[in-house]
Amino acid sequence: MRLADWVVLVGTLTSIVAYGLYRSRGSNTVDRYLLAGKTMPWYAMALSIMATQASAITFISTTGQSYVDGMRFVQFYFGLPIAMIVICATVVPLFQRAKVYTAYEFLEKRFDAKTRTLASIVFLCQRGLSAGLTIYAPALVLTAILGWPERATTLVMGGVVVTYTVLGGIKAVTWSDVQQMCIIFLGLVVSLVTVIVLLPHSVSFRDAAFLAGAAGRLNAVTTNFDWNDRYNLWSGLLGGTFLFLSYFGCDQSQVQRYLTGKSIEQSRLSLLFNAVAKIPMQAFILFIGAMVFVFYVFIQPPVLFQQTALTRIQSVEGYTGVAADYQSAFDRRRNAASALLDAHHAHDSAGEARGKSDYRAAQAAMDAARSHAAQLVERSGGEKGFSDTNYIFLTFVTRYLPTGIVGLVIAVILAATMSASSGEINSLATVTVVDIYKRYVRRDASDHHYLAASRWATLFWGIYAVVFAGFAGRLGPLIVAVNKVGSLFYGTLLGCFVLAIGIRRVRGTAAFVGMLAGEAAILATAAFTDVSWLWYNVIGCAVVVAVALALTRSASPHYS
Amino acid sequence: MPQPGPVPDQPPPFLRTWRRVYIGVIVYLVLLIAGFFLFTRAYQ
Repeated sequence: MRLADWVVLVGTLTSIVAYGLYRSRGSNTVDRYLLAGKTMPWYAMALSIMATQASAITFISTTGQSYVDGMRFVQFYFGLPIAMIVICATVVPLFQRAKVYTAYEFLEKRFDAKTRTLASIVFLCQRGLSAGLTIYAPALVLTAILGWPERATTLVMGGVVVTYTVLGGIKAVTWSDVQQMCIIFLGLVVSLVTVIVLLPHSVSFRDAAFLAGAAGRLNAVTTNFDWNDRYNLWSGLLGGTFLFLSYFGCDQSQVQRYLTGKSIEQSRLSLLFNAVAKIPMQAFILFIGAMVFVFYVFIQPPVLFQQTALTRIQSVEGYTGVAADYQSAFDRRRNAASALLDAHHAHDSAGEARGKSDYRAAQAAMDAARSHAAQLVERSGGEKGFSDTNYIFLTFVTRYLPTGIVGLVIAVILAATMSASSGEINSLATVTVVDIYKRYVRRDASDHHYLAASRWATLFWGIYAVVFAGFAGRLGPLIVAVNKVGSLFYGTLLGCFVLAIGIRRVRGTAAFVGMLAGEAAILATAAFTDVSWLWYNVIGCAVVVAVALALTRSASPHYS
Repeated sequence: MPQPGPVPDQPPPFLRTWRRVYIGVIVYLVLLIAGFFLFTRAYQ
């Protein structure tokens, strides 16, 4: 980082924080602090919803995911438009007309207090863990750039986020998100243009796409069905639909965004904007990762992208052999790529087939060397299941992007995190105060009292998230970890809302027991099977509905 | 806590009904997946 980068970084972050604080003026009642007085227009909600998802994790992990596994992660989002339509048609008008502060408040109106409370607790557990991961991601950035310990950077970033969140209400968070997304879009375009410009002069954009495709990095759609395969068309359409139904229909961090809309129409438009824009945006980010892969076809990448792990294994027995294998494989891959491009330009089919075979064999050898290096990390006392996916894009940014743009990209990553974290912590505080504190502790206190309670709850959840962030590095690629944690709980919540909205004859106790059974089924599936986490939502939802229906049909007055 | 005021429902600003908007989004999704499929095949 040079002076210009620091100027861009500090300037961007300062303006965002200042803007957020400016917008937090007037949030002096609970209604304004938690629901922005229901005054938000659709485009602000739309960008806010998108910004919550497009956190630092989106930049750091998705690009790395594409580098190692190609673009097929985009299929994960294929269910999102379907989920949005279902939510717009059912949940949005229901929540808006019920005039609730939280999604779980609705469950008491429909079922009973214990079902509402159980759903609230499930949400608090799940979102509390995810908030920790969101704070951990930018700490990773600071560690890579400044060399600070991850624990210290987590504390620093968490402190900034918590302070900002306690001071600003949902209105400040939402308008900050609008600003964040504008910067994110700018950062995305600049990143892609820069990586293409940095390719060797002899490699055109079409050549780069050809090389990425030949290495399997442009595999956007895979149609084979496999329960254990996380990303294919079918898991995306079915599992993704259930996950996003849960996320946007039952997760307060998202529900609270569109509850701030001044009408049902405005809330629907905000969700439909995401239905249309989310998949292209994710594909764009994944494509950046694929182009970074092509960049490293010609510029040798480190055998491991996490510098501390690389330094550690350099003194371990066996590293010299791994490094030599990696160097040899890289040379072979670069030469094979050049030969492949020559054959492609000459329309030489036989040469192209031969070149692809060599290119892929060299890629496999590089992957094997990286795998051996990861094993050395474990052998030298590093974490089990070591993964450096989260460091790939950061390494590229800090080493190769020009001065000024590095600062912009880092600012985008940090700012997005602040926005996403503040939204999550704000929603956690809302559920704590509305569904727990106001329901069970102080039922008839003043508005000022609940506003103060909301700020204290925000502080509590901020500290909780920071503590959890200290353990986030052990969970593998962040983008996977976030959704994996969510999937452990979302199916249960979704099942409960399916019962609440779609099956009128089911009552509170049956729904409550169904939720307990659903959560047990998900945890058992995660612990004892290899089924991909994307299916947990389907399994959890199905068990909740099946158990509740069975209890209802048992004709016992207790359950019906 | 004060409850917010009444929540009006209105038709969408385009395509006249929400049903048509939803169908439009589904058609868009199908075209998007088809586009990604062709993209994958083209660069496989």
